[in-house]
Amino acid sequence: MDNKTIHHVRVGRFELLMDAGFGAQKAGDILIRAFARIGKYVFIEPMIPAEISPPARSRPALSGVIMRVAEFNLENIGNNTDVILASHEVVLDRRIDDEEYNPNCRILLDMCDKDLPSATYDNVLQRIKDLRLHIYPFEVAPGPQAIIKSLAGKAKNMYYLGMLACIYNAPEEFVINEIKLTFGAKLREDVFKKNIDLFGYGYQYAKEHIPFGYEVKSDPGKNSHEKILIDGNSALSMGVIDAGIKLVSGYPITPASSILHTLAKVLPSFGGMVHQAEDEISAIGTAIGAYYAGTPAMTCTSGPGLSLKQEFIGYATAAEIPIIIVDVQRSGPSTGMPTKTEQSDLLSVMFGSHGDNAKIVFGVFDIIDCLYAPQLARYLAEKLRLPVFIMSDFQTANSYKVLDKPTLFEMNDSNGISEFVLNHFGIERLPEDIAMVRTEQAVVGTPGKMRRVTGLNTDETGSVNYFARANQRSHTVRNEKIHCVQRALKQPKLFGDQKDGEVLIVGWGSAKGAVEEAVSYFQHAGQAVSGMCLRFVNPLPPMLKEIFSRFKHVVTVELAYGDQYKHAPLAMLLRSATLIDVQAIVCGATGRPITPRSIERRVKELFYG
Amino acid sequence: MVDLVQKTQSALTIKDLNTENPRWCVGCGDFGVLMGFKRFLVEESILPHETVNVSGIGCSGRVPFYVNTYGVHAIHGRPITVAMGIALTRPDLKLFVHSGDGDALSIGGNHLIHGIHKNFNCVFILYDNQLYALTKSQSSPTTRKGHPTNTQPQGTSLDPIAPIRFALGLGASFVASTADWLPDHFINTLKVAYAHKGFSFVHVLQRCPHFDPDNFDNKSSAWFSFLTHEKGIPPDKRLADKTETIVHDPSDEAEAFRFANSQHTHFGLFYRNPDKPCYDEMIRQRIVKAAKRQRSTILDSYKI
Repeated sequence: MDNKTIHHVRVGRFELLMDAGFGAQKAGDILIRAFARIGKYVFIEPMIPAEISPPARSRPALSGVIMRVAEFNLENIGNNTDVILASHEVVLDRRIDDEEYNPNCRILLDMCDKDLPSATYDNVLQRIKDLRLHIYPFEVAPGPQAIIKSLAGKAKNMYYLGMLACIYNAPEEFVINEIKLTFGAKLREDVFKKNIDLFGYGYQYAKEHIPFGYEVKSDPGKNSHEKILIDGNSALSMGVIDAGIKLVSGYPITPASSILHTLAKVLPSFGGMVHQAEDEISAIGTAIGAYYAGTPAMTCTSGPGLSLKQEFIGYATAAEIPIIIVDVQRSGPSTGMPTKTEQSDLLSVMFGSHGDNAKIVFGVFDIIDCLYAPQLARYLAEKLRLPVFIMSDFQTANSYKVLDKPTLFEMNDSNGISEFVLNHFGIERLPEDIAMVRTEQAVVGTPGKMRRVTGLNTDETGSVNYFARANQRSHTVRNEKIHCVQRALKQPKLFGDQKDGEVLIVGWGSAKGAVEEAVSYFQHAGQAVSGMCLRFVNPLPPMLKEIFSRFKHVVTVELAYGDQYKHAPLAMLLRSATLIDVQAIVCGATGRPITPRSIERRVKELFYG
Repeated sequence: MVDLVQKTQSALTIKDLNTENPRWCVGCGDFGVLMGFKRFLVEESILPHETVNVSGIGCSGRVPFYVNTYGVHAIHGRPITVAMGIALTRPDLKLFVHSGDGDALSIGGNHLIHGIHKNFNCVFILYDNQLYALTKSQSSPTTRKGHPTNTQPQGTSLDPIAPIRFALGLGASFVASTADWLPDHFINTLKVAYAHKGFSFVHVLQRCPHFDPDNFDNKSSAWFSFLTHEKGIPPDKRLADKTETIVHDPSDEAEAFRFANSQHTHFGLFYRNPDKPCYDEMIRQRIVKAAKRQRSTILDSYKI
């Protein structure tokens, strides 16, 4: 097509929507790798149904991939989509419900099933028209259609891949190379060739018939570092190895299972083992047993598993056995939405186990945090002999991005933690001697130091003791461990250069990318808005009250439910810690990540309306 | 070498293993188990610092506190899970799990299933007093039908679970039964269990005179029989003339089931399969077999 309109952009976001099991994520993965190889920064978020194979052409079947490509480093999946390619109208209709399209979003809709006795095409086309979005219906020509049929419909993703590659001007040879790397060894030669042919057909079709294209700028100067493409759970898994953790014990649960999958393949090569337990309780029990016996151990889970582990978490606190728990949060309550993101485990992690029990809780901002978190967790768990939580979430776990290849530290013992990692997480080295409830903490096997641990209260000799003074002392000692971490935490950094003013936006964990981008937007517009994101939520960093008091309004953005009568979890914590009237302004439980634009919209509404 | 062993043997005494006075009721069967266990450690000269006792909650849960070795008094029903972590990572340690009938067969039933199935190396001692005692007399899975408790004052309604059948049915590699009031038999049972590699399931009938004084008649011995074999557990010498002794080959699984299914009580070695693979060893073998890699290479497969 000669009169194509090419949009030159710094960042683009597009998505591919298909039925589950037809390879939308595989196609996205290939395309994003090709972009990464030509020096673009990418961020990708898969949309995964909770079921394996929901019926095709049904709303629950929606399986897709959102891709963001930019000339600069990306910290989040961004706001809204510029281009949607949908394999039929049902998945498109379902996705439109999420309202993540740009006002000028261009939608490519495959009309392959239009002859089915269904009025839905008309309804969906009308819906798109009413939304004033641009629709580009297309059909796969009989030639490629026949190839797809010969492959039982399975390779249509390659056709769509071709179309998207052309629209976003990904060099054909790079994409074909990635297809080879992905399928080359796995597919029969003739089947592989058909895949390549379909890619070519799709590419050619878009070249000839789609009247628009995007050119994402490149800045080759910024891209001289060696790069990796990695998702949150893989980064965390590699972090486990780098931290010298030798036993990972878990029970299958979405979205934490992929940590077990990744490590099951590689951990033995580094002298470690993955143990699949009979249930969530057993998984943490085994990790606690290993740590008691002197082996750094971790368990990973998500909401329902967290609920089951709570008794053992309190036990580890009382018995003074280190334990690392990774909570990859998903939407709750109960089974909730296993493949949707949320940050609503905050309070159950902090206060879940019965009685006053001390523990350390920190969230990860992003994928690089996932890599280093296990080292920090190990350091804190062993120094304090307490449970340490690493809080991730579905979004962080499953998104992947290109980043400069990070430095590794090959940690061997907790005191050997690198200054880089401590600094990265904003914490000073802890004091050498930290008081324990029991004076003797010898590792099993040490001659002459035999000791028993228990969940019962004990005195400093380790004897069971129910006297008032002894129990009060245990509580004081355990809480002092938390306080000493608080004293070691550095003051959280404010984004940008606005140190006081009108509005302070506060998030925790994975909200960081969105908060930072929203703050940057307001500061560019000259407004007195600042923001911060917390990693440590238990203990909270010091000086929050002083920082908060420099702003007229302090608001939180968090992926957990709140309304006018109920404070969202982070807001509740910050209110109680500072006695400042902190209000949550983004506190939805939609299962979709926080976007910079949603923050911008709410701040404008409330404070610049 | 022999000298050294003898020296070590003479070095360890019951006194070395004592800690504090147990807080059990007068006449509790746990005293017999505890003393028998200590005598076993001494006779086998098992070094205290290489020994770990793991327990759950209940009267039996306190055992680790009364033996001067390493110990974990864990949470209710979960000692097997903790023991698994120790077995996986520290095969050098001697591992004993102490669990009651409520702990092992009720709240912790799932873990017992999988402990037996995984056959990880430990001696598992089931203290079966046939009720919950520390919480003051409630029905447990092994309470005999009709026996009144505080939760079922009209009499326990269900037939009890039979622990030996439970273990055999799950494919246990070692199943033996003994009683707290038969010290020689108890110690010999522990010795054979300790010599077996795998999950050695030892069922111990344990008296609870405080809540159920009539349950086990330890004054008479005609109501039970000893299963014995040259490769099994010898009958208790002090009772051998009064109690029926049955020769039973512990490799005969069908015969083991027959004894387990009978209404009569049998003490001795029901079944032993020395060839059943141990999960903990298999997992450790994965490390041995895996190609060694340097940690500096972990990100290589993610390179673009």
